Amino acid sequence: MNEASTPTEEYVDVSGGRVHLLRKGAGEPLLFLHAAGGAGQWNEFLDLLAERFEVYAPDHPGFGGSDELPQVEAMDDLVYHYLDVIEQLGLDCPHVVGGSFGGWVAAEIAVLAPYEIGSLTLLGAAGLRLPDHPIADLFLMTPHQLADVLFHDPAKAAAMVPAEPDVDVILAAYRDLTGLARFTWSPFMCNPKLDRRLRRIVAPTLVVWASDDRLIPVAHGHQYTDLIPNARFALVGDCGHAMYFERPAEFAHIIAAFLAKDTELSGGRR
Amino acid sequence: MKFVFFHLMPYQYLPDDFDEKYPSPSLTFPNKHFHRETGHRLYHRYLDELEHADRLGFDGIAVNEHHQTAYGLMPSPNIMAAALARRTENAKIMVLGNAIGIRGNPLRVAEEIAMLDHITDGRLVSGFVRGIGWEYFGHSINPTRSRARFDEAHDLIIKAWTSDEMFQWISPNYEYRYVNLWPRPLQEPHPPIYIPGAGSTETMRFCAEHQYTYMSVYAPATVVGRWFNGYREAAAELGYVPDPEKIALSIPIYVGETDEQAHRDARPHLMWLFRKGLKQGLEIMFPPGYMSPSSMRGLLMAGMKPFPELTYEEIIADGYAVVGSPDTVAARLTELHGTLGFGQVIGLFALGDITHDETVRSMELFASQVIPAVRPLGVANTAVSTANGSRAVGRLF
Repeated sequence: MNEASTPTEEYVDVSGGRVHLLRKGAGEPLLFLHAAGGAGQWNEFLDLLAERFEVYAPDHPGFGGSDELPQVEAMDDLVYHYLDVIEQLGLDCPHVVGGSFGGWVAAEIAVLAPYEIGSLTLLGAAGLRLPDHPIADLFLMTPHQLADVLFHDPAKAAAMVPAEPDVDVILAAYRDLTGLARFTWSPFMCNPKLDRRLRRIVAPTLVVWASDDRLIPVAHGHQYTDLIPNARFALVGDCGHAMYFERPAEFAHIIAAFLAKDTELSGGRR
Repeated sequence: MKFVFFHLMPYQYLPDDFDEKYPSPSLTFPNKHFHRETGHRLYHRYLDELEHADRLGFDGIAVNEHHQTAYGLMPSPNIMAAALARRTENAKIMVLGNAIGIRGNPLRVAEEIAMLDHITDGRLVSGFVRGIGWEYFGHSINPTRSRARFDEAHDLIIKAWTSDEMFQWISPNYEYRYVNLWPRPLQEPHPPIYIPGAGSTETMRFCAEHQYTYMSVYAPATVVGRWFNGYREAAAELGYVPDPEKIALSIPIYVGETDEQAHRDARPHLMWLFRKGLKQGLEIMFPPGYMSPSSMRGLLMAGMKPFPELTYEEIIADGYAVVGSPDTVAARLTELHGTLGFGQVIGLFALGDITHDETVRSMELFASQVIPAVRPLGVANTAVSTANGSRAVGRLF
């Protein structure tokens, strides 16, 4: 999966510790907010985005190479944390792209600080509570069950789970899941107040979903599209919630096309 | 040596396709399998067994808390303690324990235990547990806050029991502007505290700091030995030598007339306990953040087999359980005492799907023939601790 070339590895000092960050590319700044998985890992999708943008991919507090930052204890703290990171990096209205959990973070940033981001791209984003379309409980799944749910293609799912993971690999995965649980255990994977706040978003917004998303049903994508002013929606076929891990080229292409058009349309804002 | 009769109160009647169809009796096992009349009979049978243990001379009778599971039918252990309080005379009534990590309102626990202390005439023992992993799913409590919630709830409850003045409580997980407990407990300063440990160094240190009784959970004897040593070492660092009674071995026990008969009777029931009752994946046992990184590493390195993979022979040989004639059980407990050092045995006699008659026969043989033989062990050697100013850790056993 990962034939991508090496990004720059950096640390950003924030209140209470350090954030681990991968950076690559040149062009307009693009802040990528990772999903439950993928912290600290460069991948083909990010490499494709880095062909057109200067991609910044930080690890969330308690994930990957970032410190615990225990004072970032809930989603509201996490949004302020990222406003600090954006400021610390000196990014001027970056494009914000978030996958799954990271998509929820991106939507919250766009609600709280609508004029501090250049565009918003939500990829299979968590964050909404739709009782008729619940998000599957990934905390209850074995690694194999999770892989099956994440990928449309069973062969790719099988490749995701190492046969005999060593203790350090298990502990790193447990740490990332612990980071995730900190923000998502209850209310489960959502901010019940987010839906009524999405109207505040002014950034051009693209919502992308995988056609076979069995973790966060596509109804969540439609709800985001309905509630965010002027949001556009795109669906990627034959793809599971692993999205840019399963179909990196398609996801990178859709995002780049959206941002190219968006830059023309909203050039005055940047 | 003190002897406690502990009950889990399992729902014994699992469907025939349980093994193939359900990953666990806990959290997601559908409650349509709880037959109302059968459940009703079980509660009365199990309470009868606890009351019988009091009459037989056990030093304690013990209940615990589990939620949304056929493994144990006591979501509220305090209700069980209340049911036992005025129908028993001598035994300590041990709640082992209240799962204060998952309680929304820990002040309620302080209130209920204080009430129970009066109703039991001061026979109450108060255990505290964090609550098992799946209960953080079941009660929607964030497991990443488990340790902090436990610590804060513990400190609040102790202060509520011991303070003579109204106070305000503010901690990250709880805020009470007026804490003013009515009633205060009968025992002064408060009922004895027991804490089960499963290898976490945080728990060992916590018990040592407060000089609480440290009790094991089901594990092989070599592992339990490491835990008890960890507790003694944590105590030694604080300059404290725990009395033998402050260390309690929890263990399933079955006593028969002969070794052969005991094994024949016990085997299916122990296998029910380990294969069905304790069938639980890592996902529901250790939700994210429930274990600290160091404890999780210790757990992974310990390389313990999942309970359902144990054979009956391993359960017996490794010291997960003790089965045999009265002489054999007495000899095995004496041997375990020699290697582990403990002053209390918290025995589980109602094993899995065992019948009432088998339970009663086993506990009666234990009371009449095993207890007298093992009783003299595990008593504090006051001569050593008073005569010798230096800390004689490890020499008391």
